[in-house]
Amino acid sequence: MNERTPQPSWDRLLVDVELSLDRFKLEVSFETQSQVTGVFGASGSGKTSLLETLSGLRKKAKGTLQLGDETWLSSGTFLGPEDRNIGYVPQEGLLFPHLTVQRNLETGKKRALASGHDFETTLAQVVEILELSPLLNRGITTLSGGERQRVALGRAICSGPRLLLLDEPFASLDLPLRRRLLPFLNRVRHEFQIPMILVTHDPIEVQALCDDLIVLKSGKVLVRGEPRRVLSDPKVFSLADRSEFENILPCHSLGQENGASIVELGDPTIRNPDPPVRLVVTRSEGNPGDRLFLGIPSHEIMIATQKPVGLSARNLLPARILSLKAEDAVGIVTVSLTKSLPPLAIEVTETTISSLGLQPDLEIFLVIKAASCRLYNAGN
Amino acid sequence: MTTETLVIILLTLKVASVAILVVVVPATILGYLLARYDFRGKNIVSGLVGLPLVLPPTAVGFLLLRLLAVDGPLGSDAIGFDLGFLLTWKGAVLASGIMAAPLVVRTARVTFEGINPRLEMMARTLGHGRLSTFLNYSLPLARRGLLAGVILGFTRALGEFGATVTIAGNIPGRTQTLASAIFSAQQAGENKQAYSLMIIAMVMGFIAIVISEVLSRGRGQYGPSR
Repeated sequence: MNERTPQPSWDRLLVDVELSLDRFKLEVSFETQSQVTGVFGASGSGKTSLLETLSGLRKKAKGTLQLGDETWLSSGTFLGPEDRNIGYVPQEGLLFPHLTVQRNLETGKKRALASGHDFETTLAQVVEILELSPLLNRGITTLSGGERQRVALGRAICSGPRLLLLDEPFASLDLPLRRRLLPFLNRVRHEFQIPMILVTHDPIEVQALCDDLIVLKSGKVLVRGEPRRVLSDPKVFSLADRSEFENILPCHSLGQENGASIVELGDPTIRNPDPPVRLVVTRSEGNPGDRLFLGIPSHEIMIATQKPVGLSARNLLPARILSLKAEDAVGIVTVSLTKSLPPLAIEVTETTISSLGLQPDLEIFLVIKAASCRLYNAGN
Repeated sequence: MTTETLVIILLTLKVASVAILVVVVPATILGYLLARYDFRGKNIVSGLVGLPLVLPPTAVGFLLLRLLAVDGPLGSDAIGFDLGFLLTWKGAVLASGIMAAPLVVRTARVTFEGINPRLEMMARTLGHGRLSTFLNYSLPLARRGLLAGVILGFTRALGEFGATVTIAGNIPGRTQTLASAIFSAQQAGENKQAYSLMIIAMVMGFIAIVISEVLSRGRGQYGPSR
């Protein structure tokens, strides 16, 4: 749903690697040409090892790695991290403590210039988009966690990489701060035409940012595909943070009314014949026209097989069932609101599926309380 | 102060400075290799480098003397010319350099071990090769520890006696340093001369310690230099 036209074509990344780790062997093989490929999985599933293999920090990795026409790893080749033209953003930021923020941003200047980038323009853009100008002369130790991660992201972009590797860039931060940083990543996605591999175990980041998703479990690819479809797979669903799964849909604000916001789902720049879907959200966020993400927890959506009357909930949306999956007494119903909107996952009990007689293609109604919805700034 | 004393001080400073200048680069590189790489024989290298710390200095001096003697493996009979270390100030440099090196290597090693190796990897992902990473990131990050090691080594070289006197002798005006001059004065019963040399040695040591303190506190925890 983040499509912008015209879509540039991204370099093809080919990964077919093996690496022995302490508890298991990492064996991952995939190809991607998406702008943002997510790597999702519980902690200890091999996500970081995969990213370090991609960046050239794991010398013992075997197999093949190619980006576009460049081979990083093959039976006779091993390019060191300095020759891979990547921008790596680790969880802990790893800013250079002996340099100021400005000097940190300049550490990849030589490489950026050598690969034909206009360093000064990129730097100015990074400073603006990541809101770094008040920090430039500060020392690293005086920065907060969120500021550090923004600088680390900026430093990677300034080095003119062909591929950005983001290792749970905001995982070390608390949840509210993490949500405030989501718009920065979204802006980076739109403003800098750099493909990214985003390692995360946050379904919200996945839905808001990724075009393609790879789920790792014990070093192997468990599922791979379109992010929302993959996330609503029961095998994956249970890996998500704390089992509270939140559906994330792009939307824009239509304004506020009595302290509540009215939002319309979808991207207003893309025309589609579907009727508009509007929701009332009891949290005011943004001005009319602002792009937002709407978050609806999967267990906060109720299903009605007939149109209910006299409801206190303020949102009643017609929908159609796409699929039903059940595992460990938990049922996941994926539904479609309109053709152009991403599907929603709804968590029910297994008995609900049988007692309501739910089945694919059934037309149903979704009941969603205004207070169950959350809004996130999308950053542009 | 007599001319004689001034000559002793200048020679002592010259010997210690040259010794530390010769030692600092290889010792830093060796400290880095020991901190960052695992290689065959690492423990042996580490042990050999540390040996001067635990041996009596006279034993080190005797070993050097045997190596450099006319009929030794590095003597003029074996290599065809005289290396010029015996009974010269260069010999004093060699002896005090060898005695100071373990301190510089060890401090460098501990300092580099204290630097997160992932910071160096980060530099490499930003396009810096190994050498550039070492020069632009590892060294600046380690600079305070390295300076402390250099000062420690310098003070060790200033006070070196046993190994120096064994191969360079104790020749006034040529190889006599503060340490050997104090010994001579005391042996000859010239207590006044011994006292004044001792006070000079204390002042020099004190200044070195103050400099190292200032260097280690000059900049806070990598804060901005204001």
